[in-house]
Amino acid sequence: MEKWDVVVVGGGPGGSYAAKTAAEAGLKTVFFERGRKPGDKNSSGCGLGQRWWKDYPELMEELQKLPSVRKVEMVVINLIDEHDRLRYRCGTTGSDLCANRWPHGMDGISIYRKDLDPFLADLAVKAGAELRTSTLVNDVIMENGQVRGVKTEKGESILAEVVIAADGAMSTMAKKSGMRDRWGGGCTLVPQLDFGCNADKMDDIIGNAEWCWFGPLYGTYQVNFRDGFHIGAGQWLRSDWDEKPLEMMKKVVKIPGFQAMCRAVEAKPREYQAHMLPWLKKPPKTYTGGMMLVGDAAGFPCPLEAEGIWHAITSGKIAAETAAWAISRGDASEKALAEYERRWKASDLGKEHEFGPEFVDLWNSSIFDPKLMARQIQLLLEFSMLHPFSIVFDWGDAHMDCFNQHLEHILDLAPEFSEFGKTYVAPLARGIWPKNVKRILLKVKPKIPALRRLSDENFFKVVARLSKGLAPYLDPSIRQDAPVPRDVFERGVRK
Amino acid sequence: MSLDNIDFFELVKRVDTDKMGDFIKYDREKCNGCGLCALVCSFGLWAVKQNKAKLAVRYQELCLECGACAEICEPGAIDFSYPAGGTGVIIEYG
Ligand SMILES: Cc1cc2nc3c(=O)[nH]c(=O)nc-3n(C[C@H](O)[C@H](O)[C@H](O)COP(=O)(O)OP(=O)(O)OC[C@H]3O[C@@H](n4cnc5c(N)ncnc54)[C@H](O)[C@@H]3O)c2cc1C
Ligand code: SF4
Ligand code: SF4
Repeated sequence: MEKWDVVVVGGGPGGSYAAKTAAEAGLKTVFFERGRKPGDKNSSGCGLGQRWWKDYPELMEELQKLPSVRKVEMVVINLIDEHDRLRYRCGTTGSDLCANRWPHGMDGISIYRKDLDPFLADLAVKAGAELRTSTLVNDVIMENGQVRGVKTEKGESILAEVVIAADGAMSTMAKKSGMRDRWGGGCTLVPQLDFGCNADKMDDIIGNAEWCWFGPLYGTYQVNFRDGFHIGAGQWLRSDWDEKPLEMMKKVVKIPGFQAMCRAVEAKPREYQAHMLPWLKKPPKTYTGGMMLVGDAAGFPCPLEAEGIWHAITSGKIAAETAAWAISRGDASEKALAEYERRWKASDLGKEHEFGPEFVDLWNSSIFDPKLMARQIQLLLEFSMLHPFSIVFDWGDAHMDCFNQHLEHILDLAPEFSEFGKTYVAPLARGIWPKNVKRILLKVKPKIPALRRLSDENFFKVVARLSKGLAPYLDPSIRQDAPVPRDVFERGVRK
Repeated sequence: MSLDNIDFFELVKRVDTDKMGDFIKYDREKCNGCGLCALVCSFGLWAVKQNKAKLAVRYQELCLECGACAEICEPGAIDFSYPAGGTGVIIEYG
């Protein structure tokens, strides 16, 4: 029987990067892809954000040269009300103060996966991994409860010291090894419609920007490529669905503002797809004896916006490094591979998931609640009128009167959102760094006669005693530039 | 193709549909007739009659390989794997 150090299932971003890392570590590595070539069966995430420049700068240098790329230097948000009217459009490039984190400005890229996936797979092959395409892996080989290898549809049995499952949202490996059955409500279905366009007109009209169309009836992103774009709208797969995916897409393409944009860039429908995308409060267990899950198979996409390619390659890298470590110690048991979870939790990937439950709850109870969303649009529109550029265009009355009327509307609307704010927004306050809370408190200190003479240190002690809400931030033992640890925050709330 | 009348079926590319194999298996015993598979399938490949679901006979020619029907089926009546390697849907613009 064939035997490898590492068998990787899946030739998407996670699988290719795991295979590359394993091969570079000197491990005998093979990776399997069911498509005729990597990218044929892609799961269609195409936007790479600014953090790629920080973590994978060499990749970004090369990727931005590929043919389908359009840069993302701006995000444009179109708010559509329940009558399909465009009510608000805003765009931002971020300020120059962000330059320390975004050395290249706000420049992500959008790239079709027929460009990205083969590029990444090629890196793995160049590093020495073997790629087998048009091959479906359909089972695991188990021995004493530990994964020892995989079986392909062609009847081959292939042994491995370690299996890395990078087989996407509907992971066969996770199922066959008994790690999980279904996601149980944590997975979204994303119907997606692609359009071919006139590339020059896209440059002129859309520019280097990502767009979205939000409103009570839809939450739709628009990813723009060199000569086309696609729109998609995800929804959690639960029993409360009231609409078929195609009906939702049909509604979006009827928005007059969307149709106007389509005419301007000569957009023609080109491809329809439907994809699964895990969007979880918390990834379930990511390892078992002899096997680690990476990328979508592990449920890693970001709990706030479900970006997942960075997560796939980052977890692929950590899994392959852990495989090298385990193989060198001659132990790939479940106990040994717990090291994988320790490593990803300690990395930026772990940080990304720290607010998973809060983010998912926030989405579930806002954008998927049409009534609340309609009211939120009203609130946003009122706020938008206080904006210095908007208030000068409110010519309804003397400008100070206009200002006060908008302020009154906000005060009228606010109580409706207080329950929502308490339940879904307040828990996110845990994420404010203690050092920023302290900066705000120090601004207030001189205005409190009884306290203003205290040293800063004693001032914080008094505030912590007076306010149970602020006490967690002032706990001297916690890190200043990280969210307040969950247990410290909750202890504060309960006190 | 006008935007008000998009033919979604025309917008999917596939290769070797005759070699895809039987990759969706349905267990009538487990089905409770809830109809969710029919709701989430883009192309209406599931229909529920007399409290039991039924999958289109030549589903291979229309299926998007998304897996949503299996994922939403609470009693686990749908077993979804993938079609044979190298066959089925090709995503060119994903
Ligand atoms: C519509 C949509 C939009 C998205 N937008 C973004 C975005 O803008 N930015 C972003 O970063 N992320 C985005 N994501 C998420 C992103 O696509 C995924 O997180 C990412 O592709 C995960 O990579 P992966 O390697 O884990 O899995 P996949 O990309 O799904 O790759 C899995 C690979 O394994 C192969 N495979 C599966 N099963 C088998 C098997 N049994 N045998 C052999 N081969 C197999 C598949 O053919 C595929 O090539 C989006 C996702 C969706 C669905
Ligand atoms: S989702 Fe499952 S249980 Fe419900 S009708 Fe379909 S097959 Fe039957
Ligand atoms: S996999 Fe998707 S397209 Fe195919 S039958 Fe199931 S829901 Fe329909």
